[in-house]
Amino acid sequence: MRELPELFDLGVKARSLAYLFLAGAGLGLLTLVFPHSDRIQDRELVILGLVAIAISALIYALAERMRNVDLHAFVAAGTVIVSLANYFVEATLLYPLLYTWSALYAFYFFRLRTALAHVAFLALCYVIVLALVDPMSPVVRWLLAVGTPLVAGLLISRLLGRLRAEGLSSDERALELQRSEARTRLVLDSAPDAFVAIDADGLVTTWNAASERMFGWSAAEAVGKPLRNLIFTPDERESFDERRQALLAAPETVKVLRMESDLQRRDGSVFPAERTISRVRIGDEVVMTAFLRDIADRRRAEQEREQLVREQVARTEAERTAEMVSGLQLLVDAALAHRTLDDLLADLVVRVRGVLDADAATIFTAENGASLRIGASSGGDPNAEDPGPIPFGKYFAGRVALSEQPMLARNPDPADLADPALRGLELNSLIGVPLKAKDEVGGVLVVGARAPRHLGTEDLMLLRLAADRVGLAISHARVYEREHKIAETLQRSLLPDRLPSLPGLEVAARYLPAATEAEVGGDWYDVIPLMGGGVGLVMGDVAGKGLAAASMVGRLRSALRAYALENHDPATVVEQLNRLLWTEGQDSQMATLLYAMVDPAESAVRWVNAGHPAPLLLDGDDDVRFLEGGSSVPLGVLPFPAYREISARLAPGATLLLYTDGLVERAGEVIDRGMERLAAAMREAPLNAEPLLDHLVDALVPVGRTPDDVALLALRSLPVADRFQIEFPTAPESLASVRSLLRRWLGHALSDQRVIAEITTACGEAATNAIEHAGAGGPFELAGRLNGREVEITVRDRGVWRAERQGDQGRGLALMRALMDNVDVSQTADGTMVRLRRALDG
Amino acid sequence: MTDKLVELEIEQRGEIVVARVSGELDLAGAPGTGDLIAEAVPTSARGLVVDMSRLEFIDSSGIAMLFGLARRLASRRQELRVVAPGGRAVKRVLDIVEFSRAAPVYEGLEPALAEIA
Repeated sequence: MRELPELFDLGVKARSLAYLFLAGAGLGLLTLVFPHSDRIQDRELVILGLVAIAISALIYALAERMRNVDLHAFVAAGTVIVSLANYFVEATLLYPLLYTWSALYAFYFFRLRTALAHVAFLALCYVIVLALVDPMSPVVRWLLAVGTPLVAGLLISRLLGRLRAEGLSSDERALELQRSEARTRLVLDSAPDAFVAIDADGLVTTWNAASERMFGWSAAEAVGKPLRNLIFTPDERESFDERRQALLAAPETVKVLRMESDLQRRDGSVFPAERTISRVRIGDEVVMTAFLRDIADRRRAEQEREQLVREQVARTEAERTAEMVSGLQLLVDAALAHRTLDDLLADLVVRVRGVLDADAATIFTAENGASLRIGASSGGDPNAEDPGPIPFGKYFAGRVALSEQPMLARNPDPADLADPALRGLELNSLIGVPLKAKDEVGGVLVVGARAPRHLGTEDLMLLRLAADRVGLAISHARVYEREHKIAETLQRSLLPDRLPSLPGLEVAARYLPAATEAEVGGDWYDVIPLMGGGVGLVMGDVAGKGLAAASMVGRLRSALRAYALENHDPATVVEQLNRLLWTEGQDSQMATLLYAMVDPAESAVRWVNAGHPAPLLLDGDDDVRFLEGGSSVPLGVLPFPAYREISARLAPGATLLLYTDGLVERAGEVIDRGMERLAAAMREAPLNAEPLLDHLVDALVPVGRTPDDVALLALRSLPVADRFQIEFPTAPESLASVRSLLRRWLGHALSDQRVIAEITTACGEAATNAIEHAGAGGPFELAGRLNGREVEITVRDRGVWRAERQGDQGRGLALMRALMDNVDVSQTADGTMVRLRRALDG
Repeated sequence: MTDKLVELEIEQRGEIVVARVSGELDLAGAPGTGDLIAEAVPTSARGLVVDMSRLEFIDSSGIAMLFGLARRLASRRQELRVVAPGGRAVKRVLDIVEFSRAAPVYEGLEPALAEIA
């Protein structure tokens, strides 16, 4: 059974007891005032009355410090005093009624059992009194004196018990209600969705924590305000009002609707949101609540999904093409797998048939540019006789050879077929294409189909593609021993033969083909000058060897150049290349690639790394570190990989090194060792790009034992120091570079734009002279020096300075003299030098 | 780098041709620009205004182009006016070579037009 709560605290109980003592004493003393029996002993009663008053005062004074046990003692003391009073009045009068006081007090304030104990005590006391006094009918007196308070007390106790139970339940209800409200608030406040309630007037009554976060209005600000002005864009407010009125008027008790629309934050920004609105009618009161959810992320995800679907459709389309192209690639592979021409042709003719899904195919080879001979035949009668040389112009194949044009024939006459093996096949369509080697016809490729297959123009296109490869394959087979040379030449041709000259930057590259392998690898690099003075650096490695790798390098290279020149950011460029390789590469063809964009004006490099060894950065003061960040999967591995762009500072004077794994990989060694070796070699290397690469090659590539191709590309951002010295080609286009370099260099030392413009103009004149007069005498050199409070710029060329004369050239010199403090033109055996000086006043 | 350094706009205003040159005018662009402008001036025109308010750089090649235009127009009895606002690098260069001896230089296009009309 549960403990019932106390209705009164100890202070109340104590003070009540004090009043009881006082009242009892007062009543007792009052009885003495009125005429009474003389058996009453006045003196003793007065003393008892005074004692009771004293006890009353004591209890009152100690009321707040009372313990339960003290109360019991005082109640018992009261019972004793009443008993003494009864004794002194000889138990004849109505004084036993006073027992009722202590008994009822006990029932009222104590638990039932304790109260009964008090009644037992007073019953005992009264027995003693009756025994001492010995009045008439003592049993009746005792029964009445004890029974009356007992019965009354029991009734009171029961009544109080019910009251207590009642108090308990109402307390609990209040507590429960409080808890439930707190719980609701907690749930609302911790909800990820905003929860808002409004009353019938549209004023906010509830605004949870998520609402505060979502809209920027605190609950204190929002509550009591019209909702329409808090979360709706001005355009939406009217329609909100209308909707609200309609909802108010709706007859249903509960109405819920969901909608999506834009909502507005406090700062005016707008976001898409989903709203779940409920209207509840409680009696006459109407409450509208809404859960609001920001669905910007969901929208984005939906859009991305749509985009993905679109891309996948496009990819399926591309895959179909890729499948055919990869079939064609097989033709090239065949060229690399056969040693004799006959073997090759027999293999090729079967593959061509497969690629075109044709019923028959013949490859003719040309002899002396005048006749054809059957090289290989597939799909026809294997026992047919070789007809010998077929002159150009005779039969279908001969006409193709003569016209050098592809031809399509419907329902060909079997007699018109040069290959007797095909005459019995009842072919309904025929395509012939010339196989071109260099500029002459090296042969003819003919394919035929029987019903229901019909060769059409699409097949013609495909066969032309196939013919290109077959022609290539044949010529490769003819010069098999030259294959390596051709592929190498092809790859070499894909590497830039001359690196561009870039103002403020120094670039150098090395390509070392593998010494032992017969076939070249797929290492490649590129340097692409970009708009605005930047430069794109490429280092890549296409998996595989030979022509397949080399041709993929060619495609990647031209695609990358196209994307890079459109100034796409590195991640976009690499994603496009991945798409190219994924859709058009052969199965599992992949490539690693590092694409970096260097911006000398911002002293920054940003790059994307698709599975390539991390580039190395040498910062001026011997600080060598690998730029490890952002490495992702190689190209061609995943349809939609995430390529992340990383950037780093490329301080003036710093050098960036890109390389292929051949530089750091050695058989039987972990790659980390090679990377350590590279970092160490880099630390000892000279600063300038060319000698730096010489040093790295000497230090890291074993002489004559290059196991794999190695490509290296170094870019040094020339220090913007007190002095610089750069060569420019003698072309008018160099002038813009000269100006941009000077502005950058001067910008570090000077703040006055007017002075920078004047010095730039003067130097431009000197450079113009060098370009006009140096002629084909090679590049001119621009050098600058900041010397204390003076700037000195010299322009050196290898031409002959024209004597000063009137007219345009004279004007250039006049400009230099007007804009600079000192202009000095000196003629040497090597050429001309113009020295320009100007003091920099603070 | 294939940035277009100099840009030319030609506009016919009644009997006057206005040529607006912007960007940077150096040896790479000046000769071609001068030819384009000269070809745009018909013999019937009374004059030419070369508006260089938006030109950021000029060197002696650009100046030579202006002197060349002045000579060509003078031989056809046509007037040349140049617009180059003060305080800018272009005006400074024009001042140094005393270009105003060949043709008047104005602060803005409207006064230059008014002068020919």
